[in-house]
Amino acid sequence: MTSLLRALALLLALGCAGAAAAQDFAGLIAALPGGSYADRAKVVKDLGLTGDPRALVVLRALEADDLKVLADGTPVIVNDKTGAAVAAVDGSDRGTPAADSLDRVKVNNAVRRALRSAIGMLTLRDPDPARRLAAARDALKAADPDQIEALDAALAAETDAGVAATLAEARAAAVLKSPDAAGPDQLAAIATLAARGDDAARAALTPVAASAKPDLAKAAQAALARIDEAQRFWGLAQNLWYGLSLGSVLMLAAVGLAITFGVMGVINMAHGELVMLGAYTTFVVQQVIRAEAPGLFGWSLVIAAPLAFVVAGAVGVVIERGIVRHLYGRPLETLLATWGVSLMLQQAVRSAFGPDNRDVGNPGWMSGAFHLGQMQITWNRLWILVFAFAVFAVLLMVLKRTPIGLQMRAVTQNRAMAANMGIRTGRVDALTFGLGSGIAGLAGVALSQIDNVSPNLGQNYIVDSFMVVVFGGAGNIWGTMAGAFTLGIANKFLEPFAGAVLGKILILVGIILFIQKRPRGLFAVKGRAVEA
Amino acid sequence: MTQPIGGLPPVAQPQLYLDGVSRSFDGFKAINNLSLVIEHGELRAVIGPNGAGKTTMMDIITGKTRPDTGQVLWEQTVDLTRLDEAATARLGIGRKFQKPTVFESHTVQDNLTLALKADRSPWATLFRRGSAPERSRIDELLALTRLGDHRFRLAGALSHGQKQWLEIGMLLAQEPRLLLVDEPAAGMTDAETMLTADLLKSIAGERSVIVVEHDMEFVRALGCKVTVLHQGAVLAEGRLDAVSAMPDVIEVYLGR
Amino acid sequence: MIDRRMGIFLAGLFVLAVVVPVGNLALAGQPVPTYLVALIGKYLCYALLAVALDLVWGYCGILSLGHGAFFALGGYAMGMYLMREIGDRGVYANPSVPDFMVFIGWKELPWYWWGFDHFALAAAMVVIAPGLLAFVFGWFAFRSRVTGVYLSIITQAMTYALMLAFFRNDMGFGGNNGLTDFKDILGFDLAQPATKVGLMVLSALALAGGLVLARWVTGSRLGKVLVCVRDAESRTRFLGYRVEHYKLFIFTLSAMMAGVAGALYVPQVGIINPSEFSPANSIEIVIWVALGGRGTLVGAALGAIVVAAAKTVLTGALPEAWLYALGALFILVTLVLPTGVVGALEDTLSRLRGTPPRKEAKA
Repeated sequence: MTSLLRALALLLALGCAGAAAAQDFAGLIAALPGGSYADRAKVVKDLGLTGDPRALVVLRALEADDLKVLADGTPVIVNDKTGAAVAAVDGSDRGTPAADSLDRVKVNNAVRRALRSAIGMLTLRDPDPARRLAAARDALKAADPDQIEALDAALAAETDAGVAATLAEARAAAVLKSPDAAGPDQLAAIATLAARGDDAARAALTPVAASAKPDLAKAAQAALARIDEAQRFWGLAQNLWYGLSLGSVLMLAAVGLAITFGVMGVINMAHGELVMLGAYTTFVVQQVIRAEAPGLFGWSLVIAAPLAFVVAGAVGVVIERGIVRHLYGRPLETLLATWGVSLMLQQAVRSAFGPDNRDVGNPGWMSGAFHLGQMQITWNRLWILVFAFAVFAVLLMVLKRTPIGLQMRAVTQNRAMAANMGIRTGRVDALTFGLGSGIAGLAGVALSQIDNVSPNLGQNYIVDSFMVVVFGGAGNIWGTMAGAFTLGIANKFLEPFAGAVLGKILILVGIILFIQKRPRGLFAVKGRAVEA
Repeated sequence: MTQPIGGLPPVAQPQLYLDGVSRSFDGFKAINNLSLVIEHGELRAVIGPNGAGKTTMMDIITGKTRPDTGQVLWEQTVDLTRLDEAATARLGIGRKFQKPTVFESHTVQDNLTLALKADRSPWATLFRRGSAPERSRIDELLALTRLGDHRFRLAGALSHGQKQWLEIGMLLAQEPRLLLVDEPAAGMTDAETMLTADLLKSIAGERSVIVVEHDMEFVRALGCKVTVLHQGAVLAEGRLDAVSAMPDVIEVYLGR
Repeated sequence: MIDRRMGIFLAGLFVLAVVVPVGNLALAGQPVPTYLVALIGKYLCYALLAVALDLVWGYCGILSLGHGAFFALGGYAMGMYLMREIGDRGVYANPSVPDFMVFIGWKELPWYWWGFDHFALAAAMVVIAPGLLAFVFGWFAFRSRVTGVYLSIITQAMTYALMLAFFRNDMGFGGNNGLTDFKDILGFDLAQPATKVGLMVLSALALAGGLVLARWVTGSRLGKVLVCVRDAESRTRFLGYRVEHYKLFIFTLSAMMAGVAGALYVPQVGIINPSEFSPANSIEIVIWVALGGRGTLVGAALGAIVVAAAKTVLTGALPEAWLYALGALFILVTLVLPTGVVGALEDTLSRLRGTPPRKEAKA
């Protein structure tokens, strides 16, 4: 309140407005307390149209219930903490009147609406473009013909292109409501709004579509149809985005599994727990940073990623050397043994960190969202998508361009032959398992940004990851990518019709039916060797 | 170059008839426009270098693999390309694998019992008990395969050669009308090999037999018509002496 | 037909079915407390479930990671009957619909609840529901020759999908909370020790019946075909056996057996909820069988009882240690005891007698 008062005083000191305007302003202020609610709403509206910055202060005070009337009928703004009062019209000091000597200037819903609209009009001149944009959106929603002039003035002064566009749309909406606007003007307004193409535009156009003027009605109907189409498109785009985002998460979680399954034929049931270890590594890194070097928080994920890779990868190598190695050629037993590992890892984490969710924060660059057309994209999801593709690309490079990748592929295709060629298959197995596990750790870093970090984290992804691998076809990471994104997108497109849970069930049933047709997945390795 | 079928008059009632059969795996043509006719009761040896398509041919006949194109007819009426392994086996096509495959955790007797020609539905097998004719049939087979002493041993405990014999015994127990036999002589002594050849010769006539073999001595001992496969197609057909004199055959297979 | 180890086990079961009722109901001082009766009954249900899994895994090589689903379906079928049996004694005293339906605003019974006030229908559904699911699922899976780990994974997906479904309130099965607050069964008060004893004895009978049935099936020629499928599936086809029909038969039979186990389990523990469908539960069944020895039936039953009892003791005394112990059990059994305790014991015995060891199940 104090800062408001100071601003008011400053404005007065500048002696900003001309005499007539001042007269007008003073008259409106004086008229504010009197009359019915309807009169008050009218005065509020007029104040908004003055474009006078002093009016903003008064109207905000009215909105905050700080505008009172002294016994002599002078409207004053009272500081609700100190009780000090200043005259509403010129900010002159009126002492600290006793509370019971003051009358409230009451508002009802109609006045409140007028207030919001008027404050919005006045905010159109605010120095902060974000606020102006918000005010322009309000004006668009209000679609008040009386605001046209003020909008024109604001439009003339506007420097920000985005705000100007919204202002133009707000003006168009107002013009459409105006009974005395010219026909061509209104047609132009319809075009402007159709280009905007969202719910606000639809709200402004809908009454026009039923207009008595046939050309106007027709144009509005056409515009509405265009908006419908645009909204369908953006709805689709938004769904697609959700699907891509889910797909990227699934891909991160499943690609490591695909490597261990594809190369070694090993079902690693502890894969989900390795993802969880990655997430807990992120948590620990953030704890250390919070305690030791808060300034580095923005870098926490960048620091956590390699650590998570190493932690999960090392655990993976231990699992391989200690257990899986002894069970090659017995995939079902491997499945059971690694399930045992997963139980132990879960309990270990539960003992160390407790059973509850742990708070992993989003660094600044991971939080918030932006709009693309009519769809909203959150930064964390976008970065995870980028990260998923980066991991995939690096993995592809490792498999195709490095000696160890070559050895891995050799072992995948013919283990016995690879061994005869002098490849130490044991070492390759350990490294492959480590690589797959390390990627699980990386997935954990990403998941810590969008999901609860708890000992059950891995369990939530394991079935889905398996579905991706089964669907995509083991032994082919392109298949994993295709599988992950197909399932992700299918899931998100089913959700609006079937609901989240039923959608997921449908997907599972779909996969079970799918492997009827292609028992070895989308990208099956074909040939006689496999069929035998 | 494909020889006409030995200059013989067209067979009126072939047991098995393959015409223009092709099958490729990832672009590799394992079988390429293969045509083959097997008469009732015929004994036929199929030879050819590795990768000539012998195994794929047997897979196609038994319904394990579907051909991309071509016709496979059983007794001129049944389209084998529409059937699976179990169905072809029920029709009377028996198959012995190159690597002897017996049921290792069953006894020799059980292996033979399960192979005996009978109703194969789960319901029937659930309630079937041994019968006197069944037992005598098994005694016969045990004598034939000289496994009588091993009747109650687990098949997994048999030697390689014994497993070969057991599998042959299982094949006979099925009473098939066509036997597909893949390298029966592998892992057998010379004496056993000759015994096997005699056995196959005695079976033929009553049943049709196709033998895939590498061992030329064995093929010679069979003394039957020979089909040479090369790159998934028939390269030559005829008696072994005639076939082995052909320059093409010498080049791709016999000549070194 | 009944071999020695099964004879011993059945005799033990008989003794249990006599000693426990006497100890609980007849003897002064009640040497067998009632809570123990219910606990033993629960273990016996688990044992029957393990025998069911052993039929498909031990004898046919199908590692089902979704057998908990069949158990739970049988349990839900029984639970539905028990819910209807409550009648108007619920909190809302509504005679026509169970409490949880009143709670979510349902006025009428959905069609799939019709008839569950009749015990006969519920009892039939105990085997029909899991059997039908197994039949349909198996028909699809076996026909397309999905085997090995692929099959294991989709059975896991099956039970996972069912868990998600049963968590939904509008499925009409009580959602999260499941079915509970049962009052009586066929007019017998579930809170009475005599009822609990009766249920425990019934469970023992069911286990004995299940064992004998399983023994009969596996000893038949069909059982031998199953082992052929397990060891050399392709060869079995070439003998003319339609492998998918055999798998379907044993999978469905096993699911029905699991359903019976679930149905006996529910009145003894007093609740059935969707967590019974959780994949973790189903995998736990596998370790019972693996520990006892797959393909031994009796071993599977013993494994279930031992592990379940250990779970009761450990989760009570050292809750933190339970998952470590269970995890270690999975690892040790697969690494050290691939034929399970019973298998290893028999191998040792036959080695001592100088006869070659029986070659047991290979995965």
